Amino acid sequence: MDGQTASPHLGEITRIRAPAARASHPALPWLWSGLLIAVLGFLVLYPTLMLLFGALTTTNPVLEGVHLADVSIGNFLTVATNINVLAALGNSLIACGGGTLLAVVIGLSFAWVVVRTNTPCKALIASTGMLPLFVPPLVAGVAWSILGSPKTGLLNMLMAKAGLGWHVDLYSMPGMIFVFGIYYAPYVYMFTAAALRNMDPSLEEAAEIAGASPTRTMATVTFPLILPAIISGMLLSFVVMLGIYGIPAVLGAPANIPVLTTYIFALTAWSPPLYNTAAAVAVILMIVTGVLVYAQQRVLAGRNFTTVAGKAFRPRALNLGPWRFFTLGLAIVYLLVVVVLPSLALIVAAFRKFLFIRDIPSLLDMKQYGWQHFIKMFDNPLTVISIVNSMKVGVITAVVGGILAFAIGYTITRTHAPGRRTIDAITTIPVAIPGLVIGVAYLWAWIGLPGGLYGTLWILALAFVARFIPDTVKALSTSLMQIHRELEEAAWICGRGMLGTIASIVLPLARPGVVAATTLLFILAIRELGSSLFLYSSGTMVMAVQLLGYYEGGNIGITAAFSLVQMVLLGVLITITHSLSRGAAQRSVVRGG
Amino acid sequence: MSAELRVEQLRKVFVTGHPPVQKAAIDTVSFTIAAGEIVVLLGPSGCGKTTTLRCVAGLEHPNSGRIVIGGTAYTDPAAGVLVPPRSRNLGMVFQSYAVWPHMTVRQNVTYPLRARKTPRADQARAVQEALALVELAEYADRPVTQLSGGQMQRVALARSMVYHPQILLLDEPLSNLDAQLRLRLRDDLRRIIKRAGLTALYVTHDQTEAVVLGDRIGVMRDGRLLQLDTPREIYNRPADLFVAGFTGATNRIDGRLLRHDADFAIIETRSGERLLARLGSGLQDGAAARVALRPDNVVFAPAGDGPNRFTAHVESQHYQGTQTVYEVTVLGTRIEALEVGSSARWEVGAEVTVALPPEMCWGYGP
Repeated sequence: MDGQTASPHLGEITRIRAPAARASHPALPWLWSGLLIAVLGFLVLYPTLMLLFGALTTTNPVLEGVHLADVSIGNFLTVATNINVLAALGNSLIACGGGTLLAVVIGLSFAWVVVRTNTPCKALIASTGMLPLFVPPLVAGVAWSILGSPKTGLLNMLMAKAGLGWHVDLYSMPGMIFVFGIYYAPYVYMFTAAALRNMDPSLEEAAEIAGASPTRTMATVTFPLILPAIISGMLLSFVVMLGIYGIPAVLGAPANIPVLTTYIFALTAWSPPLYNTAAAVAVILMIVTGVLVYAQQRVLAGRNFTTVAGKAFRPRALNLGPWRFFTLGLAIVYLLVVVVLPSLALIVAAFRKFLFIRDIPSLLDMKQYGWQHFIKMFDNPLTVISIVNSMKVGVITAVVGGILAFAIGYTITRTHAPGRRTIDAITTIPVAIPGLVIGVAYLWAWIGLPGGLYGTLWILALAFVARFIPDTVKALSTSLMQIHRELEEAAWICGRGMLGTIASIVLPLARPGVVAATTLLFILAIRELGSSLFLYSSGTMVMAVQLLGYYEGGNIGITAAFSLVQMVLLGVLITITHSLSRGAAQRSVVRGG
Repeated sequence: MSAELRVEQLRKVFVTGHPPVQKAAIDTVSFTIAAGEIVVLLGPSGCGKTTTLRCVAGLEHPNSGRIVIGGTAYTDPAAGVLVPPRSRNLGMVFQSYAVWPHMTVRQNVTYPLRARKTPRADQARAVQEALALVELAEYADRPVTQLSGGQMQRVALARSMVYHPQILLLDEPLSNLDAQLRLRLRDDLRRIIKRAGLTALYVTHDQTEAVVLGDRIGVMRDGRLLQLDTPREIYNRPADLFVAGFTGATNRIDGRLLRHDADFAIIETRSGERLLARLGSGLQDGAAARVALRPDNVVFAPAGDGPNRFTAHVESQHYQGTQTVYEVTVLGTRIEALEVGSSARWEVGAEVTVALPPEMCWGYGP
């Protein structure tokens, strides 16, 4: 054999030295896992434990410091059985339950119209129908209070001028249910549309060949098959509504309808603040959320029996004949109500000198419009400060959260580091904690500590990192899993260490996912209200809280103007992210609420 | 420089299933590859061949045994030695090629040299030579995503050889290519590896690939190395029934061993006729025996006189153009027989004399 003849080419190269044979220290993986668990413990576990501690004591953490002496389940039960707490819990369940039902009706019909009929302009309807997902709840609430407040609401004024006897009052339980329902319908839509799209059409064809009528097919085949998707979307939208502060704060408060979130904030705003009670109510909210999230995960896990065959199907489109214009009309009405009307309301309120409208011609009178609210808004130094602060917090959240989520995602999906399951489990905990509860938890974790994080921008950023870490890790893990293992192994064989391989192979290949995830973190951070409420201080005002301040100050013109500024800012950012990630953004805003 | 590879008593156990069961992916495998030699590990999927290769690469960690390259132990769990892949100075061609899609051909091939901090001038020269070796010199500055499967394969090969590794590992490198390209690259691969003078360990499930490429072939099954020999030996002296079957000896004739000498055995078949066969492993006088035979070794209507002449009854005929496959009943057993040529000479129902050359009948214990 010619085995011993050395290559005339490669044999000449003598200056390529072999890498030194060195083994990495066996304790290194343990050290790394320990570090990650410590960081997660600091971000997630410690605040959660402090929240539980707060719920079980009666001492004021600011005045008296933290004592373990009076911890008792009795303190929690006293709060939990308080009539005001039960009333708030009841209101929450009614508002969110009603909102969820409405969302299911709208979302399901919307999904059916878009996926299964030949309604014209389907694609356009589908994409504009998702817009409500990106509207911060507070802005939605403000827009609808401009439209539907009982005395000065634009709708009421217009209907009165038009001589119609109708009257709407959004400052009411039905009002909250309505706004919840129309804004969270896209959640149900996303789940059910996906299920309808992925369904094997032959399942329905088989039913029809077996002699079932189209209605019967829908009732006995289609509906049962997408039921898990419906339930899952329902539970998710319920959970998100439960944690929303902006909508009930604007629509419920004037009618004196407290829900859990507004009640918790009210408790901390009293003098002296009732931090213990707030913590206890927050724990109740967390328990309800946790149970529902668990239920949703179970439903999602059990849906394997359904339809997904890993094949792409062309969904059957029902020919509606002339009725397709009826469904188009319905879709246009929905878009009018959910997109056009609120936007118009904000624009009118933001640019009009006085919101009072004498008659219809005066609504169109251009002399009534101008930039005065915007000028006044920017005269207030807090406006600019809050915008700058929000940007800073957004950058910190994106950088810290991005790095941490990458480290966790890589460790979970790519290594054999010890304690991977523990890290994964701790990472998922915040899924079951509403933003507002994280705010209370961070308040408890840091308010009693002198010279700590409290009062800095960092406490906001860290709370946001904790709040959004599950989604960020999930998104990054998905893009990491798309990188073939052998691409990494090839780099190791070529002589690169783990860090060098990450820098030269993994990061460049995962870049679209990483960029999308971090920009998204930035967006979620600058629009977050629930947790900011408890963590801002005079020097660290952020946009979302400042907007609430303007609203509560009573100047609807400035409120609308600032809402528009935020919407434009978010719109630009979301468009950028969307083009970077091709749709990943949409999926992840979902839990942000 | 290329080095000798010694794998000693390698064993790797996986715990799988519920309740957990220990399964040996590699069950005490030992072999040695001389410097500059190509050894192919051949076997069905799940036989442990890829796991063995990955243990040599340092990507998997065996439970026990030693891996010694050029006299230095790189894996020795008993002594706490486990050199990470990056420090082993091996080359590896992956099943998926694993060429990095965000780099050009040149960047891919330069990568290992940069990891070794090779001086720039040497880098350029080494890359040029490696690319010339795989005939891709004019593609150096193309993004790899613009290459065909076969070209990516060559990039992967150039990348794994550019730093002249101690040993080249190849994990089913041709399995993702279409049949025609596979044939061409198969021949190229051996030529290129030999020209570079590299020691190579090659893993495949394709027997023809193994025969063309390997200086020696190791047949594996259920984590065990059944036979490691030259292709000629494997095809003409398979060590057991499984290796015989894997090289295409799919016919089985059952019987009982009457008596044997040093090389041959006489086996009484079901029909009572006696068959002369090569003495394989596991045979005992008086005990059950099984003879393996390749369809193409059945000779129809032999001229003259000789041993192992029997009357066969033609049961079916499958004409395939350049050859014909028959099913015949002989010695009380139905076997396949293959005759080359474009005319199908034997009709169904015919009685024909066949010869089963004793050299090609391999007897084994059950």
